[in-house]
Amino acid sequence: MSDTDLEIIVDDPTAPSADSPTVTSNRTADVVVSLLLLALAVTLGYDNWRTGIAWDETGPQPGYFPFYLSVILGAASVYGLGAALLSRKEALEGFVTRAQLRRVMAVFVPTFLFCLATQFLGLYVASFLLIGGFMRLVGKIALWKSLLTAFLFTAIMFVTFDVVFDVIMPKGPLEAAFGY
Amino acid sequence: MEAFGLLLHGFAVLLTWKTLALMMVGLVLGIFVGVLPGLGGPNGVAILLPLTFTMDPTSAIVMLSCIYWGALFGGAITSILFNIPGEAWSVATTFDGYPMAQQGRAAEALTAAFTSSFIGSLVAVLLITFLAPLISSFALKFGPPEFFAVYLLTFCSFVGLGREAKHKTVISMSLGLLLAGIGMDTVSGQLRMTFGSGELLRGINFLVAVIGLFGISEILLTMEERLALRGHAAAISLRVVLSVWKELPRYWVTLLRSSVIGCWLGITPGGAIAASFMGYNLAKRFAKEPESFGKGRIEGVFAPETAAHASGTSALLPMLALGIPGSGTAAILLGGLMVWGLNPGPLLFVEHKDFVWGLIASMYLGNVVGLVLVLSTVPIFASILRVPFAAVAPMIVVSCAIGAYAIQNAMFDIWLMLLFGVVGYVFKKIGIPLAPLTLALVLGSRAEDAFRLSMIGAGGDIKVFWSNYLVGSITTLAIVLLFWPLIDKAFARLRELGRPAKRAG
Amino acid sequence: MRKIVQVAALLAAMLTATPGHAGWEPTKPVEIVVAAGAGGASDQMARMMQAAIQKNNLMKQPMVVSLKGGASGAEALMYMKASEGDPNKILIAYSLIYMLPLSAKIPFDWHDLTPVAVIALDQFALWDNVQGPKTVKEFIDAAKEATFPFKMGGTGSKREDHVLTVFVEQKTGAKFSYLPYKSGGEAATQLVGGHIESNVNNPSENLEVWRAGQVRPLCVFDKERISYTAKVTATQSWHDIPTCKEEGLDVQYLMLRAIFLPGKVTPEQKAFYVDLFSKVVQTPEYKDYMEKQALKPIFLTGKDMLQFLEDDDALNKSLMTQAGFVAK
Repeated sequence: MSDTDLEIIVDDPTAPSADSPTVTSNRTADVVVSLLLLALAVTLGYDNWRTGIAWDETGPQPGYFPFYLSVILGAASVYGLGAALLSRKEALEGFVTRAQLRRVMAVFVPTFLFCLATQFLGLYVASFLLIGGFMRLVGKIALWKSLLTAFLFTAIMFVTFDVVFDVIMPKGPLEAAFGY
Repeated sequence: MEAFGLLLHGFAVLLTWKTLALMMVGLVLGIFVGVLPGLGGPNGVAILLPLTFTMDPTSAIVMLSCIYWGALFGGAITSILFNIPGEAWSVATTFDGYPMAQQGRAAEALTAAFTSSFIGSLVAVLLITFLAPLISSFALKFGPPEFFAVYLLTFCSFVGLGREAKHKTVISMSLGLLLAGIGMDTVSGQLRMTFGSGELLRGINFLVAVIGLFGISEILLTMEERLALRGHAAAISLRVVLSVWKELPRYWVTLLRSSVIGCWLGITPGGAIAASFMGYNLAKRFAKEPESFGKGRIEGVFAPETAAHASGTSALLPMLALGIPGSGTAAILLGGLMVWGLNPGPLLFVEHKDFVWGLIASMYLGNVVGLVLVLSTVPIFASILRVPFAAVAPMIVVSCAIGAYAIQNAMFDIWLMLLFGVVGYVFKKIGIPLAPLTLALVLGSRAEDAFRLSMIGAGGDIKVFWSNYLVGSITTLAIVLLFWPLIDKAFARLRELGRPAKRAG
Repeated sequence: MRKIVQVAALLAAMLTATPGHAGWEPTKPVEIVVAAGAGGASDQMARMMQAAIQKNNLMKQPMVVSLKGGASGAEALMYMKASEGDPNKILIAYSLIYMLPLSAKIPFDWHDLTPVAVIALDQFALWDNVQGPKTVKEFIDAAKEATFPFKMGGTGSKREDHVLTVFVEQKTGAKFSYLPYKSGGEAATQLVGGHIESNVNNPSENLEVWRAGQVRPLCVFDKERISYTAKVTATQSWHDIPTCKEEGLDVQYLMLRAIFLPGKVTPEQKAFYVDLFSKVVQTPEYKDYMEKQALKPIFLTGKDMLQFLEDDDALNKSLMTQAGFVAK
């Protein structure tokens, strides 16, 4: 063993700048989330009310607990709604800046497309496309590096899951062509 | 010496080439996910869980717990070398660890971190070893009311003791409980909240939610931040290791104190985060020159690391014994147990001795092997950080999707994972805690079933929760914890009222 | 006679160890769909068959166990229904194929699937704690006299165990509170802990605790005693347990275990699996499993199987209706 000392420096050229304007405030986010939760609570509450919320001789009916839970969830969201609208402090803080949102979308959109591709092309083709595409387009990494990494990773995953451990993944037309 | 015999049996279960190989694989994978930005203990375990689905439970848990140890060790590498705490509980380690690294004492700091993690876990494992046989004799006392009381205790302690705004904890927990209720209700055999959908029939799987809530959302969050980093990776020489170990006895008070704190907070749902800060703060308070903390003191590494690991390890005890996860990772392991067909709870110690003692033995072995492994390979793992995030991020997404799909072989779960990813991202940003949600998801239907079975058994009489000493005291404690903020305030008021009176008198 | 010839032919086929099928063969790994959670009786059976097929080299493609126990097994049924025409999926079915559509209004009918073979029948027994009454008569008397109704544990709601409990109530006039647990294992340990007075578990579910001398089998719900005479506990074998009828409780119930393919598969594809399972039931792994789990051996295919399923379906339907478990 020797005392080798290696320095590791990683730069982030596409880092979000600190002075980017905010897109929405925390207050708006709070309000939107509260409203969505309230809508969910009402929907689930109604469904459970139909299932039965009474307390019969052997204890509560199946809808009993979920119904009251949706009431609690609804009440807490209304409280959250009120708190968000009344608070001054939170309103000042930004929920997300434009630069941040751009970066988050740079991950979210490809992830969404990946899920969509998995549905139709199978997981392995989709993951090859995701890794290769993401590295090349978002990371600006050399094309051959991107494709090679994507291929190796996908191949390792395929061998590990489908071949060695018998965990079957969704497959599409390409795998079908090879008889899987 | 029943524990000792059982432990030996556990080692016998483990000492096969296959299991040892799995341990090594688990440790390497664990360190890998621990070092990678945007991942960490619970996320790593959640993503790698599907690898174990086709294994027998004992091999599976050995591998998973090794992934976990590996992730913990890996987290220490990034905290000390790059000032990036991989986990909330590594934050305290950076206070003194990073300054040490800047002073060129990185090797020393890393050795201290790994050694103290080892010591902390070891103390916790010893505790588990000796408590486990007691649990199995206690196990059969648990009927539905007792189980419900214990679940209630966990829920109440989250609401009562949580630091987040109360209504946010309530939102998170009730949402989790509601989602847990989707699908078929076991007690009545009726479907509910499925809206006629075939996909919702099977309910929302806890692990799918966790992979989304932690894996996907963490990537989104990581992207928001600046990803640049700078640091030194030092190889650790044997000389440094020995010199640190020689110093160890001097710090026995710190180590012992932190271990005790860690074990206590791990078994009660205090968690590793609280443990690491408490360990650090207490070490600082009792030190002769507290102002030297934060400037690169080795004790400042020992104290939080020991406490965090003691707590993380001992959190497995309530998970195995009562089915209550004391930490995020324990919750995921709990989900794993169910996938493998094991019912966590006291009966596990009676029905699946091989499994329990195999796990306990693997904690000993995993820690020893892990210690040796990290000490010898730090530079290799540290250089993982050079891999650009643009390559790492899509790979994590793919791993998450594989994980989510493999649990129930359902495409729908991949979409669900994506949805939970967004939910997790938004919730984290507006301060809705995720821990109560995951806890509720994993315990929700069990708690409801336990309640309703108690009701059926008692003919609908709620007094059953105070029907004997055991269940009565747990239920009462749960209610006290729920109203703890109010009680605490009332006490404070009383004290305030008492003070002027004393002064006058 | 025909059967013997068939068996002999199969044995011969096995000895040569080359699976020689003229017709169709699976080209992808075959998924065994289990309509229950991990570790349950169906899962164990699937894993046994997986091992038996692999060890005896009965099929070229591997078998993969796929657990679809969501919604008490309804997930597996809907999954099979949706896999119409896919010959690489087989379902290990049990009585839930009749019961679940009735109790939970699941849009499923077993006629939509392709029956392959009935491979076993599962027994039910009445068990109580060793500290409880020693015979069926004493047990029923104690249940009638109890101020609080006796607690009877079982798996799931409005399913086999629940139906049996209602049946026992009807025959004896005793009243029970039925506690639906998530699994038979849970019902077993709760019985040991004295949180319930009795359960109606399958033999395999209570095997361990019976061996440990913690529970007592009172009777078996079948016309005849279980055939296995090897000692299971220190003093008793499965055969030593009396039938409930002998003990004056005339209730009989057996649960089928059968293999189904999805609907709309070709006759060649069905023939392959019929052939495969007729070999599986001859393997030592299978026979060993049957004895360990105290399952009743049976092997039906084709018309016999269809007739059996129709009769069994009618029986279950009438039981469910009598018990009031059919959802409106």
